[in-house]
Formats: sequence, structure tokens, C-alpha cells
Amino acid sequence: MSEETPVWKALNLAMDAEMSDDDSVFTLGEDVGLYGGSYRVTQDLYARYGEWRVRDTPISEGSFTGLAVGAAMVGMRPVVEIMTVNFALLALDAIINMAAKIPFMSGGQFPMPLVVRMPGGVAKQLAAQHSQRLEHTLMNVPGLRIAVPATPQDAWWQLRQAIRSDEPIVFLEHELLYFSKGTLDTKLPPPPMHRATVRRPGNDLTIISYSHMAKLSLKAAERLSAEGMDIEVIDLRSLRPIDWDSCAASVEKTHHLLVVEEDCGFAGAGAEIVATLTERCFHFLDAPAQRLAGLDMPTPYNGTLETASIPTTASIADAARQMLLPGEIS
Amino acid sequence: MKKEPITMPVLSDTMESGHLIKWLKQPGDRVKKGDILAEAESDKAIMDVEAFSDGYLTGPLASPGTDIPTGTVIGYISDAPEHAGNETEQQPSIPATTSTSQNSTQPATHPSAAPPHEHARHNTRDIKASPYARGLAHELGVNLATVPPGPQGIIQAPQVVAAAMQGPQPNLDAGPGWRFKMLSSMRRAVADNMSATVNTPTFRISSDLRMDLLRQAAKKRGMSLTLLLAKALALTVTKHPLFNAVYTPNGLALRQQVNVGIAADVPGGLLTPVLHNAAERPVPELAEDWRILKNKLKRQRLAPEDYEGATIYLSNLGMFKVVKSFEAIVPLGAAAILSVGAQKDGAASGTLSCDHRVVYGADAARFLETLTALLNNPGDWS
Repeated sequence: MSEETPVWKALNLAMDAEMSDDDSVFTLGEDVGLYGGSYRVTQDLYARYGEWRVRDTPISEGSFTGLAVGAAMVGMRPVVEIMTVNFALLALDAIINMAAKIPFMSGGQFPMPLVVRMPGGVAKQLAAQHSQRLEHTLMNVPGLRIAVPATPQDAWWQLRQAIRSDEPIVFLEHELLYFSKGTLDTKLPPPPMHRATVRRPGNDLTIISYSHMAKLSLKAAERLSAEGMDIEVIDLRSLRPIDWDSCAASVEKTHHLLVVEEDCGFAGAGAEIVATLTERCFHFLDAPAQRLAGLDMPTPYNGTLETASIPTTASIADAARQMLLPGEIS
Repeated sequence: MKKEPITMPVLSDTMESGHLIKWLKQPGDRVKKGDILAEAESDKAIMDVEAFSDGYLTGPLASPGTDIPTGTVIGYISDAPEHAGNETEQQPSIPATTSTSQNSTQPATHPSAAPPHEHARHNTRDIKASPYARGLAHELGVNLATVPPGPQGIIQAPQVVAAAMQGPQPNLDAGPGWRFKMLSSMRRAVADNMSATVNTPTFRISSDLRMDLLRQAAKKRGMSLTLLLAKALALTVTKHPLFNAVYTPNGLALRQQVNVGIAADVPGGLLTPVLHNAAERPVPELAEDWRILKNKLKRQRLAPEDYEGATIYLSNLGMFKVVKSFEAIVPLGAAAILSVGAQKDGAASGTLSCDHRVVYGADAARFLETLTALLNNPGDWS
């Protein structure tokens, strides 16, 4: 298919395909109907499927996410769009207390085929309340699944797999990736939903990352390749569950682990990844596993400070160099 | 205050670390560009560490008596003096392996620098090594206590692999108690150079060389016997140019000039000062070169260009009356080395060790014929 599909288009196509395949799929959220979604993910769906299946909602995340939970319990396949992850805080009761618990507490009598999509991450000067990453909060909820696609190909298949799944899935989309383009081949078979993927094979050091940071890590790896460092980049694609086998195999090969995350480092995804892989691969590590993460602070509005508060291609490359050539960089 | 780091300089191509002998300036001393700040020993010679800018020497300074990887910061030059007191107390986090090879002759100038000491590292649990390095050491049968640490003073996989590549190691725990004396840089260089020759297929061929006439000629001209032997060797090589070649996987490298490396016994090691273009240059000129080289040798001031680039080697142990004959190892970079024993009845045993990939037995026999002829008629060429 198209060589240069943006991520938003891949998501849009996935929505369209699932809605056309299955009448029980519907979407709801703020501005998903007439406006076509803040990032165009539901563009044209309103015209195609009508206002019952593409529902504009009031600004009331708690109630419309709760509505979707109820719909999922009785056999629908709702796809909630929350305008940004920052607003999802209002919907956490529905997500954490209801969606994540109901299948467990009902002894499996109620499935939960719910998808909650939410754009997030540090975009461009949206200030502290609109630049959050909530991985650290959502990862700590047993019963939830979390998908973090970084490419159009992954966005396409993972959203379709999420909609078909009977488990509650939070779908984290990065605001800076919507207009990033890549190859989309809808004929390619999908990898398993939670399988990590090796974006670039290498022998000297493993970088594990996800979403926008996986893209930057890949750029850093290409830069380091010119300096003779052979970096393997793993894109997790899923934060819950995490594909530990793929990660461990890589660390056992390169003996060096660097985790790159945009979210604050404290008690975040990187902490979990480093802890688990240190438990699993301790005897294979030739240097302490490292994290490169967002600073432990609200995101500054000032553009320079904002950039300094999260990893960049340059800082990722520096961190990798520091691990491979200690002492040569001051 | 601006502080510019002083780093352990790279003094030769093969140098990976330098042995900091002593500081010649104290923290707080005003220094000018070009001033000598410290003395460092490379794998071959003692060299000066110079100031590259004007300012004040500032700590923390690296401890004398330690081996320090090239490029590591050993001190600072700042644009303003500072209280020299406490700074020097804190040792910088410089990876260093202690060594005592220079202690007796080079007392540390620093009252604050703890004298380096030897210690046995019997308990490998106390050694800083990465988990992977430990696993590798276990699998490869490498005793971590014998592995020099890498950057930041931690043993990592590359150091274990390097140790394993050096071949099997003696089991020290089986015998009596022991302690380590770290190798001096020169000793390490010799060890590395010799280990590098294990893949050279070598044969040896011996002959009695007439020395009485050469000795007379040397005495008459006030020159050293070794120098004239080197000249005779160089002239022989010009008649047998294959002996000036060296084997490489891409082919034989045929060199255009004969440089004779002469093995020299120095305190704590072995060096090979080189007589450049020994075949074509006149003997008096070579004699002057040799005098200068010996002088540098005595002061341990041989520079890389003084000891690198030999194409043929001479090792003369004739001054030891007890040596009848011996077989030297062909150094990497040459096809042959001539070993000369002590004289008896006007002759000395000469053994030519050769790289069989370059020259063969009959070549070596013809080589010795030419050499013998030259030694029988020193008047013709010396």
C-alpha cells in the first residue's frame, strides 16, 4: 500500500476497517463526530457510519468512559477517544475501578472489549498540564493492557487487534507521531499484539524504548553507527504486558542495556524494565543498566527548558557513548 | 576560575597507559607553556609531560607511581592560583593499577599521595568486575585476580577476553602463598611483543664467526664491537635483500633501507635502539649515532623514533663470557635476528633465527657465508 502514510491515517483506516467489519464497533468522545477528531483519527467516519456509531460527547470524560464500560459489558466494542491523556485523569475511575476489575470480579462473566485511545506526551509547548505521560500510572493497574504504537504499520494492526480483543486496552498515541509518515502495508500479517520488535539489530548495546522515543533512539543509533558503535534498538510496542523474552535475548547478546523513556524516570516504565531485566539478565550485564528518562518535574512551558526536560537524539547518543566508552566523554 | 585538564599524553603508537613517575611542580605553582610538569614512563622511555598553556598547576593531581590510561585527566592548569592544601588530598577517580617498579628510585613528591603498595587480591569477590565479566572469567578459566581492570577501574568483558587470549594461566592457589608485582610499562611491552611472535614459524642456523680481526679493527678505531657487527650485518642484508623483508598476510613487505635494531640490556627491561640506514651510511657516522643512542639509553630518554622501525636485529651477549651460544626470538617486524655468544679462541658462535615464511635454510646458509667473509676481512669495509 501507500509508501508514505501518516500515523493518523493508519489509525483512521483501522477504525474504518473495524467499523465496517463489525456492527458492534462504535466510537465516542469529544469532537470525534462532526469535527473528525482532534488529530483526524475519526475523519469521515461520521458521514459513513452516522451519529449513533460516531458519537460526539459532552466534556465529561468520567461519564462517557463509564458509558463505554457499560456498553462493553453488554457486548458492544466501544472505542473511546479521550482528547489527551491529561483529561483521562477524570476517567480513571471508569478505567481502573471498572474496566480493569469487572472481568476479574465477575469471574469472567463480563468480558471487557473496550479500547480507550488517548494522545499524549510532550508535544510543542503545551505546558505542564497538557504534556503528561501517564504510563507510570496506567502500567500499575493489573487487568489493563497498554499498547504504544510508534509507526503507521503498528498503529494500523495494533488498533485493529485492540478492537477485536475482549480485554480492556489503553491505546497511547504520541502527539508528535500523528503526522510522522512511514510504510503501511495492510496486506502484511500482524505480529502478535504485545510482541516487541527489533527496529535495528546491533551487537554492542541494547536500547529499549517505545513510542516517540523509539523513533529518536533509532536516529541516535544511526548516528552512533557512523562512530563504529553497533546499537540494537528495541521498540516495545506494548507496555503491558512487556515482551520480556525479546528484551532479554537482546541484552544477553549485547551485554549493555539503556532504557529510553519520555515519562519521568522515577517509578516509571524504565524502572520496571531495568529491574526485571537486571533480575533476568544479571550475569550477562557487562555494565550497570541505565535509564535515560524525562526529568522528575512538571514539563516547563518555555521551549528550551521543555526540550531539556526530556531525552533528545543527542542525549540518547551521549548516554550510549558513555556506556560503551566510559571516560572518553566528560 | 577556568580549569583546563592535563591528560596523560600518548607518547608512542603502542602506548595504552603511562606510568606517572613524579610531579615536578606543586599545586599552586605558576607554570609557563612548555614547562615540564611531570615525568611519565611509556612502554619504552621516560618522557616529559609539558604545560600546554600558562597558568597555575591545580589539583586534584593523579598519584605518582600509578599506571594511567592515555587521555585520562591527571591534573589541571587554571588561570588563578587556588589553595593547594586540601585539593590534593582527594584522589581523582583515576583508574590506576598500583605499581612499585619505580618506587625505590622515584620517591613520590607528594606528601599526601599514599605510597602505592602491592597487594595480593586473593578473594575475587572483592574485585570490581561486571557480572558478565565474572561469568566469562569462570567459563574461560581466567583468574580475575590476574586481570588488569579497564576504564573506571572495573573489570569488564573485554579485559577478561584479552586475558583469556593470552593463553592458559598458572594455578597460583596450588603452590605457596604469593603476591603480585605489577608489570612495569617496559616489561609489559616486552611481554606483549614477545607474545606477538608465537605465530612466527622459526628455524635457526648456527656458525662459528671469526671475531679476532673484527675486535682488532674495533680497538684500532676506538669503536664498539657491537657497532661493527651491526654494520657487517647490514652489509650482509644488502646482499640478501629477502632478509630485509617482513611477512604480512598480503605479501612480503620489502623495505628499501636496512635498519639494524640492537637488543640492549637496561635496568628493568630490554630495549632495541635502531641504527637507521646502517648499510649505506659510513661507519664513523653510525658510531656517532650509536654513542648518542647509548647515552639516551642510559638516561632512559629513548624516543619512539630511536627504537622503532628496525628491519633486522642483532643480539650480542658476547660480553658474558659464560654464554656459548643462544637463540633469540625473531621480533615482529623483521625476518631474522642474529644472536652472538662469547668469544673463544678468536671466534664466537653466531645463530641466525629466521622467519621461515620469508627465508629458507639455504638462504640463511648463504647469508652466513657472506657474513663470515665480511668478518674475515674487516679492513675492507670498516
